[in-house]
Formats: sequence, structure tokens, C-alpha cells
Amino acid sequence: MSNLHLLSPELALGGMALGLMVADLFVAAKHGRLLYHLGWLVSILALVMVGYTISNSAAGQGVGSLWAVDPMSQFFKMLILLTTVLCLLMGLEYKDLPPAHAGTFVCLLLFSAVGMMLLVSSVDLLLTFVALELISLTSFILAGFERRNHKSNEGSVKYFLFGAFSSAIMAYGISLFYGATGTTRLVGVGHDGGPMFLLGLLMILLGFCFKASIAPMHFWVPDAYEGAPTPVTAFLSLAPKIATLGAMVRLFTVLLPASAFNLTTLFVVLAAATMTVGNFTAFFQNNVKRLLAYSSIAQAGYILIGIASGNTIGTEGVLLYSFVYVAMNIGAFAVAQSVASRSDGAGAYDLEAFNGLARRSFGLALAMAFFLLSLSGIPPLAGFIGKFYIFSAAVQSGHMGLAVIAVINSVVSVYYYMRVVYHMFFKPAADETPLAVGPFLYGGLAIAMAGILAFGVYPEPLVASVQASAQYLP
Amino acid sequence: MNLGSYVALSAALFLIGVFGALTRRNIIGILMAIELMFNAANINLAAFNRYLHPGGIIGQTLALFIISIAAAEVVVGLSLVLAIYRNTDTVYVEDYNLLKG
Repeated sequence: MSNLHLLSPELALGGMALGLMVADLFVAAKHGRLLYHLGWLVSILALVMVGYTISNSAAGQGVGSLWAVDPMSQFFKMLILLTTVLCLLMGLEYKDLPPAHAGTFVCLLLFSAVGMMLLVSSVDLLLTFVALELISLTSFILAGFERRNHKSNEGSVKYFLFGAFSSAIMAYGISLFYGATGTTRLVGVGHDGGPMFLLGLLMILLGFCFKASIAPMHFWVPDAYEGAPTPVTAFLSLAPKIATLGAMVRLFTVLLPASAFNLTTLFVVLAAATMTVGNFTAFFQNNVKRLLAYSSIAQAGYILIGIASGNTIGTEGVLLYSFVYVAMNIGAFAVAQSVASRSDGAGAYDLEAFNGLARRSFGLALAMAFFLLSLSGIPPLAGFIGKFYIFSAAVQSGHMGLAVIAVINSVVSVYYYMRVVYHMFFKPAADETPLAVGPFLYGGLAIAMAGILAFGVYPEPLVASVQASAQYLP
Repeated sequence: MNLGSYVALSAALFLIGVFGALTRRNIIGILMAIELMFNAANINLAAFNRYLHPGGIIGQTLALFIISIAAAEVVVGLSLVLAIYRNTDTVYVEDYNLLKG
């Protein structure tokens, strides 16, 4: 209890989230936007608090009974908060969210962020489980937030059924782990490597796979992403995935290294399967939200390579790629949202809706092209740096086959990303009126764009900060 | 009663739950099956705590946490089911086919 102050960013964010929920009762629906502004200001406040603990490492870091606050967790926390801010900016310009429930929406988003911040810090299966459930429960509701929209309902119910099923498996896995070791604390586990222990570990891994949308547990992704409101889709495709992968780095390369139980091959297979499934299914999608959903499965596969490699450069690669992935993916979703905001109802996210975007709003089309090129890993953009780092980790750890599969996958992915670009630049538009993009969406786009351009051309500061952040305490 | 019978009971419950969750077509049925899986974990925890690690209380504490989280999960699940039932008038999952999965 003595070092509870280490968790002050989480405590502050959670308290403010509750405050926003209460404020919802007193703010009239027409002033609902005020709550979004409060939400992102609060997230920035928490971001500053996390940044302070990084700069002041002696006073701000340490190990509690359930958590560890160290440079690695702080890096992921900053990424999660950055994503939250950008998604709230997107939410300000999204017209289908019920304005009467703005406070609830912001509150759930912030609670989800709190869950993720706890998850990346956790060194105890008890906290890991509770944090994962905090993320899950809030994201189920967020995915179904458009209550009158049938698609949103359906996506959230499918998400919920998969989610509850996999967390029940994870709970059983934790019980087996406890039976084998007599503890849930992951620091200095005297593991026996027996069948009960391994079965428990695999079931826990399955629960992680669900949240990070890794291959055998990815079926919910396209449906939940298509049905959810677009700012929520952007949030779900980034924050929980990054947080879970961050927790997996801690668990499977630091606390209980996968190589100690001969699980490295399993991780290699998972990474290869995830990339391949994501990329080859994205081929056949005509809905941009679904396309980006499958692409985000593939991106999770790339990040998993860093964990499968299990070396320092792999860990740094996970951190670096997570950062880059936030910038490029949120940009792509923001453009998709502003394209869809013009048309109503069905087909708003079809590829055809992107026809002739270059004539309507050249800036948006160019931005989307940059984000997609970065996602496919074309050189001067940041996505290339991330992929280069991850792939060289695989080569360095001797997984040549995995590196070859990853390179083939990135080549394949160029095709479907370029299909969107083709529609934007070479197809005639049905109506050529320019798109109206709100100031906050522009702000978010500008931040994402600056990220992928600046760190693509001049990656040294990012690489240096990643190398400094790949430190862990326990 | 020894540890083996408790673990056998919980394994049986867990497998029944998995089977039910995968084969039921009524959402309420799936929810009940998932509850069985959670409770299988709780039996395991309590039994392991009693027979293997009687010194501490971690197993029982964890079981309490899982009970309350499972309850919260069901609350969210039922409210989602209510929302979709109002729009579609059905609780059978094969009728939810607007999104091609």
C-alpha cells in the first residue's frame, strides 16, 4: 500500500471518468460536446502525469504487490492515452453517437484506458484478469453504443459472446496455474513445467490472443469492427491490442520466457498464421472498415514477431511498431470516417464511396494514401522503420523462415491497400463536392500525419526513446 | 472427498460449458454455459487452495473476484441481448446475419 502513489495517473483518470459520468446528469444534451472536450483534456492531464514519472524515474517508479511501474509500462501507457485523446477527437466529429449519452461514452472510454494502463503494469494474474475484464466489459458496451443501429447491436453481441467465452477459458487457465504454482504472482515463479502448469499457461495465452486478435481467436474482429461506431472501431483496433501485446511482452519474454517452456515455436506459428489470415482475407473485402479490420489482424501478427523473437531487439521492435501503428491506423480510420460522414445508411464505407476522393478533397486523399503506404511498409514512411526493426529481430534470433513469411505478407498487403488508393485517384466520383472535415478531425489527422512523416524520415529520436523504454523492473 | 474428485468435477463442468457455448443457438443458453465455465474455475481454485496450498488464501480471494466479475459480465451481456432483441425480436444467434462473418 505504501507506494500506491505510483498509480496516481490511473487513479486520477478513473476518478475523473466517474466525475464525467455524474456530470452527464447535469449537462444538457445539446452541450454534450463539452464532455468530449473534458474527456480529452483529462486524458492529456494523465499523459502529462505519466510523462512526469518518466522524467523523474527515481520517485515515480517501483514495484507494488500487483504491479510494476517501469519505463516499459510507462511507454505503453503514454501510447494508450495518446490513442484515447485521438479517438475522442474523432468522436467529436462523429454524428451518429447519441448526444444525450456523451458522458457515458467518454466515461466508458476512459475506464477502458484505465484497464489498459493497469494491464501493461500488471505482474500478477489477479490484476491481469481484472484489468482484461475492465477493458472487455467497457468495449462490449462501446461497440454496441449505437443502440438503434442493428449492425452495432449484432457486432457487440458477437464480440461479447467471444469475449466472455475466452475470459472463462482464461479464468480456468489461471486456476490451473494457481494449482501448479501456489501463487498468482508472476515474479520469481518456481515453475515445474508440468502438464497442469503448461495447460494453464496455454489457456491464459488464449485469453490474450482474443484481446490482441491473434489467429485462432480473431473471428469476432471484422464483425465487431464493422458494427461499432467508427471512433470506437479505431479505439478497439489500437488500444486494447497494444495493451495486450504489451502485457504479453512482459509475461512471455520477461517473467516467464516462452523459450523456457519450448513455446517459441508456438509463437512463431501464431505470428505466421495471424499475418497470413489477416492479409489474405483482406484481399476480398469491399468494405473499408472490414478491410482495415483484417489489416489490423495482420498488423497484430507483425507485432507478435517481436515477442516470438524473444530478444532485446524484438522487445524494442514491439514498442516501436506499436507507436507507429497507432499513428497510421488512426489516420486511416479518421479519413474513412470523414468520407462516410457525407452519405447516409448503407454503403457509406464501401470502396465505391472513395471513388474520386482526390478530386473532391485532395488533401484527405493524399493523407489516406500516406497512411495506407505506411501500413504496407513502403520506405520513407514510419511503417517501414517499424517493419524493418521487427523483421531484423526475427532474423537475429534465427527465425529466417518467419522473416521470409513476413516479407511475403507485406508484399501481398500492398495489393489491397493500393486498391483503396486506386479508387481514390483513378475512379470518377459520383458527386464532386468537397468533403467538410471538422477542425478536431483535422487536428487528429495532422498529429498522425506528423508522426508517420517525421519518424519515417528521421527515426533516431524514436529509436532512442524506444531503447530507453525497453527496460523493466521485476 | 479428495482433490481428485473436485478436479474431475470442475473439469467435467468446464467441458460441459465449452460444449454448450459452442453448440447452443439461444444466446441465453450460451450465457448459462459460459457461467458454468467460470464456476468450474472457482471450484478448482477453492479445491487447490484447500488441498495443495492451505497456507494462503489467494485461491479463495481469486474465486471471489471471479464470481463478481462473472456477474458483471452477465449484466453487460443481458443488456446487449435486450438491445438486440428490441431491434430483431429474436435471441437465436443464427438469425444475426447482417454482418457476414
